[in-house]
Amino acid sequence: MDTLRYYARIYLLIEAQYIKARLQYRADFIISSIGMACSYAVGIITFWVLFTTIPNLAGWSLNELLFMYAFYLLSVTPLQVFFDNIWSLRIKVRDGSFIRYYFRPLNMMFYYVSEVFDIKGLVQFVLGVIVLVYASVQLHLQWTLPQTGLFVVMLLSASLVMISIMVIAASASFWIIDSFPVLALAFKLREFAPYPVTIFDGFFRVVFTYIVPLGFVAFYPAQLFLRPGEASPVVWASPLVGIALFALAYQVWSRGVNHYSGTGS
Amino acid sequence: MPVIQIENLSKHFRVLNRREGLVGSLRDLFSTDYRTVKAVDDISLNIEPGEIVGYIGPNGAGKSTTIKMMTGVLQPSSGTLLVNGNVPFKNRKKNAQNIGVVFGQRTQLWWDLPVIESFKILKEIYRVDAETFKAQMATFNKLVDLEALYHKSVRSLSLGQRMLCDITAAFVHNPRVVFLDEPTIGLDIAVKARIRTLIRELNNQHQTTIVLTTHDISDIEALCQRVVILDKGRLIFDDAIQKVNYLFGAFRTLRLQIFPFAPETLSAFANKLDSAFNCPDAFTVSSDESGWIEVTIDQAKVPLRDVLNLAMGDFPVSDVQIAEISMGSVIQKVYEGVKV
Amino acid sequence: MRRYLGYFHIVKASFMASIVYPVGTFFTLIGNLVYITVVFFLWHSIYSGADTLHGMTFNQTFIYLTLAGSVLILFKTYTDWALSSRIIDGSIVSDLIKPLDFQVQTFAQSLGFALGNGVLITLPSLLLMVVLFHGSFPLGINLLFFPVSLGLAYMLSFCLDYAVGLTAFYTQSLWGISITKEVIVSLLSGALIPLAFFPEGLQRVLQLLPFRAIYSIPLLIATSSQLQIADYFQLLLVQIAWTIVFLVLTRLFFNRAIRVLVVNGG
Repeated sequence: MDTLRYYARIYLLIEAQYIKARLQYRADFIISSIGMACSYAVGIITFWVLFTTIPNLAGWSLNELLFMYAFYLLSVTPLQVFFDNIWSLRIKVRDGSFIRYYFRPLNMMFYYVSEVFDIKGLVQFVLGVIVLVYASVQLHLQWTLPQTGLFVVMLLSASLVMISIMVIAASASFWIIDSFPVLALAFKLREFAPYPVTIFDGFFRVVFTYIVPLGFVAFYPAQLFLRPGEASPVVWASPLVGIALFALAYQVWSRGVNHYSGTGS
Repeated sequence: MPVIQIENLSKHFRVLNRREGLVGSLRDLFSTDYRTVKAVDDISLNIEPGEIVGYIGPNGAGKSTTIKMMTGVLQPSSGTLLVNGNVPFKNRKKNAQNIGVVFGQRTQLWWDLPVIESFKILKEIYRVDAETFKAQMATFNKLVDLEALYHKSVRSLSLGQRMLCDITAAFVHNPRVVFLDEPTIGLDIAVKARIRTLIRELNNQHQTTIVLTTHDISDIEALCQRVVILDKGRLIFDDAIQKVNYLFGAFRTLRLQIFPFAPETLSAFANKLDSAFNCPDAFTVSSDESGWIEVTIDQAKVPLRDVLNLAMGDFPVSDVQIAEISMGSVIQKVYEGVKV
Repeated sequence: MRRYLGYFHIVKASFMASIVYPVGTFFTLIGNLVYITVVFFLWHSIYSGADTLHGMTFNQTFIYLTLAGSVLILFKTYTDWALSSRIIDGSIVSDLIKPLDFQVQTFAQSLGFALGNGVLITLPSLLLMVVLFHGSFPLGINLLFFPVSLGLAYMLSFCLDYAVGLTAFYTQSLWGISITKEVIVSLLSGALIPLAFFPEGLQRVLQLLPFRAIYSIPLLIATSSQLQIADYFQLLLVQIAWTIVFLVLTRLFFNRAIRVLVVNGG
């Protein structure tokens, strides 16, 4: 508990200062935020163009799909905001500057990740909330306190899934030289998260549920709120999936850190 | 109780024997053809509290590998290594609490943040209490006027200013050992002097042990009482700094101006040395046209004083010059692989 | 003649460099295959039951999109990033000193990279598709026009990347500009969704924009079995026109941008 407070205090201290310093680069912040907004706006437009053509997708209506899309936007935000530094890992490993993370009495992943806080990721959050509100209104969803609590829990579990996938992909930098395509692949996978896993049959459904659990980034958790009666029991496993996957990701990271030491660049 | 204890420490790396070409690269992916590189080969040494030790060697000698083991980055292949009683690799965080590290090339401070904020964050990370922190910062202000840099971002500092910040930051939590890797690299002479003074003062204050890795010999001459030299993973010298000059023997060069200078003077002088000392390999005698005789003397065999007395007694000496072999050239000889 | 040899060597060097790290390319290939898989299932679901949507059958749409994906990779040469980092760290100076035209130099470099992508990713992906869909590929005179169309489309795509890269003379915020360009091009060029699926009004606007010349036109030439010779020439003409426009614009932009370098003194 004391450790938690210790890390929390350090994190807040670092990020408060970091944000203050970054906001001085006004132009960069504005341009990046516009870029971010554009990319998600295009995603939404794509969604809209596709689904105005058809009455439903695998039995899901447009508004239900929008709800899933919103859920996806929100669950991918923590990755964007907190873990943005993993994109630089391959560079820092290659040029040797990664070594500085060993020298502080801090958990290395924490120290590494705390270096960057992506403010523009909050644009994603705002967009997600807007779409969520729209879809909720259209679907006449009831947001009671327990519902909201459950929503937050499911959201956090889902975000852990995406974070874990990216951490595992980034850790490839410890073993291979040109690891950017691995990260790019993992990141690209997230684009398929807002679609219902049920569009896949047998083999791929298993893959996207159990092997690369993209289904848990939006589809499965969202079901609890859209069609609680029909939700399969696997949906309730979301928090477990998130935590287990993160534990795995942390293991891979640790192995990578040790391996890096081993080759001692 | 030594603050750093190293006994029969070794670090071996398995390196892939790479093949050429595209097909070679593909085959490498499945290869098991490795060779073992002994980066550190059976070294032993102890460092006591308060020492400033110069830790040097040619590139690839194994210095940074040892430092990495001492800071918990690499796991030793064999042998014992204790820093402050800890095994660094096993207790990285605990070890980190008691050490400071400065890498000359890269800063460890937060790049975009004002300097003072970096220090405040370090205060939290190392759990430095308010009183100690205040005292440390006051010391830094006194020594290098750190206050003037408080509100500048690390990014905007000159290299010299950044080094001063990095070094003081390494001491803020009062560690027992500080590792300085190339702290004066790329700096002008004035800044180098300030940094050396800073290091000396900080070592003096709390008897902080300092392990200094550098290619700048004048750093070593200015700061270190003890020098450790590594080459090809082995320890080849570990002694007081004064003894470095005697690595290849205590050579001095004595130059004598003889007036009048006759054609036979040189050979007469050489013969005199032979008959007086009967130690031909202690001397190398030569002369140039302008009347100077130059004799390089191995002081371990014959004291310079005796040669000078002999010369003054038997020859018309009108001027004398004495040159010492520099530490830089001794170390250069070591790096070049001349056998000790 | 010597000068052209210089450009050729750049292409060759860039091509070799992109092949040297096969692991990375391998993952890009996997990424493409995953994309194809998801596209298959997604559109299968979208079509579920319907024969045609907006005049395209499932097969046509699927081939269109997977071809788009494989071609997209060809065009993904990170020219904008490479260019911007050379501008920011100043190494662009050594390129400017060479007795080679800067834009052509940069083009040669990206071409080598694209060819590398083509060999290692596009070809295997296309082969897979041909194996799976040997019946549905119209193989006729369009095969003559397709490479030409593709070449023109590539030049256009390059000009856009080049222009984005040049903005580094004015701002360090490449990410925002690059991603904006990427998503707009993807959407409006028909790479993500065939243009036929867009609402009528929007389609008319898109006909006037240059983006369709990058993806929609070459893909149309490759997949449509209903085009006449006249149609082919007309489409190519549209591409040529836009390519010329962008070549002129980028040359003007470069001349403008390079002055920043002189003013700032590197």
